[in-house]
Amino acid sequence: MRIEKCYFCSGPVYPGHGAMFVRNDCKTFRFCRSKCIRNFKKKRNPRKTRWTKAFRKASGKELTVDNSLEFEKRRSIPVKYNRDLWEKTVEAMKRVEEIKQKRQARFIMNRLKKGKQLEKEEAITEVKKNIHLIKAPHAAKQMEAKMVQKLQEDVDMGDEDN
Amino acid sequence: MALYNFKKIMVVPTAKDFIDITLSKTQRKTPTVVHKHYQIHRIRHFYMRKVKFTQQNYHDRLSQILTDFPKLDDIHPFYADLMNVLYDKDHYKLALGQINIAKNLIDNVAKDYVRLMKYGDSLYRCKQLKRAALGRMCTILKRQKSSLEYLEQVRQHLSRLPSIDPNTRTLLLCGYPNVGKSSFINKVTRADVDVQPYAFTTKSLFVGHMDYRYLRWQVVDTPGILDHPLEERNTIEMQAITALAHLRAAVLYVMDVSEQCGHTLQEQLELFNSIRPLFANKPLIVVANKCDVKKITELSEENQACDRLLADRVENKMKGKKVHDVLNRLHLAMPAKRDDKERPPFIPEGALIRKRAMEVDAPKRRLERDLEVELGDDYILDLQKYWDLMNEEEKHDRVPEVWEGHNIADYIDPDIMKKLEDLEKEEELKERAGEYDSDDESEDEDMQEIRVLAKQIREKKQLLIVQSKDKDVHGPRMPRTTTKVERKKLEKEMGELGLDMNDKDDSHYAQQARRSRSITKKRKREASAPPTSKTRSQSASRPPRDQSGIRDPKMAKKAKKMMKNSQKDMNRQGKKGEADRHVFDLKPKHLLAGKRKSGTNDYR
Repeated sequence: MRIEKCYFCSGPVYPGHGAMFVRNDCKTFRFCRSKCIRNFKKKRNPRKTRWTKAFRKASGKELTVDNSLEFEKRRSIPVKYNRDLWEKTVEAMKRVEEIKQKRQARFIMNRLKKGKQLEKEEAITEVKKNIHLIKAPHAAKQMEAKMVQKLQEDVDMGDEDN
Repeated sequence: MALYNFKKIMVVPTAKDFIDITLSKTQRKTPTVVHKHYQIHRIRHFYMRKVKFTQQNYHDRLSQILTDFPKLDDIHPFYADLMNVLYDKDHYKLALGQINIAKNLIDNVAKDYVRLMKYGDSLYRCKQLKRAALGRMCTILKRQKSSLEYLEQVRQHLSRLPSIDPNTRTLLLCGYPNVGKSSFINKVTRADVDVQPYAFTTKSLFVGHMDYRYLRWQVVDTPGILDHPLEERNTIEMQAITALAHLRAAVLYVMDVSEQCGHTLQEQLELFNSIRPLFANKPLIVVANKCDVKKITELSEENQACDRLLADRVENKMKGKKVHDVLNRLHLAMPAKRDDKERPPFIPEGALIRKRAMEVDAPKRRLERDLEVELGDDYILDLQKYWDLMNEEEKHDRVPEVWEGHNIADYIDPDIMKKLEDLEKEEELKERAGEYDSDDESEDEDMQEIRVLAKQIREKKQLLIVQSKDKDVHGPRMPRTTTKVERKKLEKEMGELGLDMNDKDDSHYAQQARRSRSITKKRKREASAPPTSKTRSQSASRPPRDQSGIRDPKMAKKAKKMMKNSQKDMNRQGKKGEADRHVFDLKPKHLLAGKRKSGTNDYR
């Protein structure tokens, strides 16, 4: 039993799901659902279809080159079953998966940092331009004047007391 | 050497038929529809196809004729000579040569015209080229009329030639006309040759077959030969001579003892002597025929002939080179011993064991089937027990295949632990370098305040948009300055914007906004004349339209009447004004329903 990869969206194809298309040159294409099959029949390029993993990797939106990704690959030379090797592999898999997730998340976060910067700048310009919608420009002066008056009163009071 | 079957030569059509067949085939088998407006390459292709098709057809049929007809050099000299005698070798070769030339000419014509067709720029030109090409091909063929006729006749005659196998045992009957050769062949074989009292009843060679000593014999009957020199012989006699010359047969020279044929014994003997050179290397029997008593003698002569021929043939075979070849090739080679070492044949151990086992009938090893039979219902096919692993106890392990959407088989690697160590080290380094620190720097208060304000601004903007959309606009949109602003509303709005509106009881807000289009300039107070009330009132208030320009009430009354008059129609029709052209009912039922009786379409 093997979990295959969908040719179009690179998603997992579990046993009992999806379909396989065999072309005349003996190349097989597996699909996870009819959405991918229909897109394929329409001759759409997965590298240009935005929602697929192929697009994301090809346009640099996701981590592509990393050591943690080298662990999972199809090997052409089979290895004879060896209980402790298998056990170790399962443990290693778990750890590798953790690291992989961390790194992928970090990659995406770095990518989105620029957005935060832009957001900040946008907020500043917005406030600069349209502050008059919330606060009258006059209000600050008024407040100041009031403050000054109050202070003056305080001072006077203080003087009086004295 | 090609095998010729004279009976299977294709019919050679006459020139006219040939042309008709080919042209009608072209018409039927190629597309017929072409229009002027097709693309030029399509038109060209259409006509080229026709030319090529015609050429192909002609070529094929002519080639077939050429291959079907035997080449005189390829067939047995007996047949070659026979055909020469019957059809004249030169004429025959010439006819076939002409056909060949015609074929080549047709090919050339087609090639040329196809080449020309590539430069045809209109349907008309291409069509004319095609007509020219086909026409030329047909003319070439028309010129071959005589050759084709001749070949047809040759074919017909050729197919009727008796099938004489020049290589088998043959008996050849020859002699004067009417001596009894055909009667003999009729008696001996199943042939049914014409026997008549006049000379030259048999005009060509005839074959019959008979059995003797479990072998098939051919008996060839020839037309009679007269005694004159070779040059003067006619076609019929030449056939007999040809047969005599080329067939390796036993010759039976039949003589008429009773002289019923019309020639004396002397003449017959002379004939015999003159054609004697033809009998070289052939067993010869002189048959004395028409001795009505001597039937038995005839038979005995026949026997002798066959026997002698057989013996002759066997002798020849033995003396032939073929036997020597075979004998030369048979040779048994034995390797010579180079030393005294014994080298017995090698038999592998397994073979010996098996042989012994077969003899002793030892029990075989225990099979899976035996196990199955033993366990009966409990039997489970367990192929894992045959696995070749490093540890024997692990054979029956249940191997995990999948974990959390990943195939374990993709991760299996003998060096996986080492790789994992490297990865962990890398990870540690990265962590130390601070890659994974969350960079949620706490922003300073200013920035937070700015964000809050920006949010408020955005909300306010959306609110304004929604409000503006929700407004109910009755009538034309007037500028903002026409609407009266309520004091309460103004104070509320300004309060929301942050201005202090608490002690504004005494203040005067009202200031009529300017409604005139032009911007009035403020003049200096000293320069202008003091404003009088009249001018002001005049400039401020203009007379309404229905009173301006009217001198007296009478005129006013009339004007009003005119106004009312013009509005009557509109009012009656319920129109809002002059410009109201709205039709409430475009298809009124009372006008459009019902049959057309005597009426017009203006109002039905």
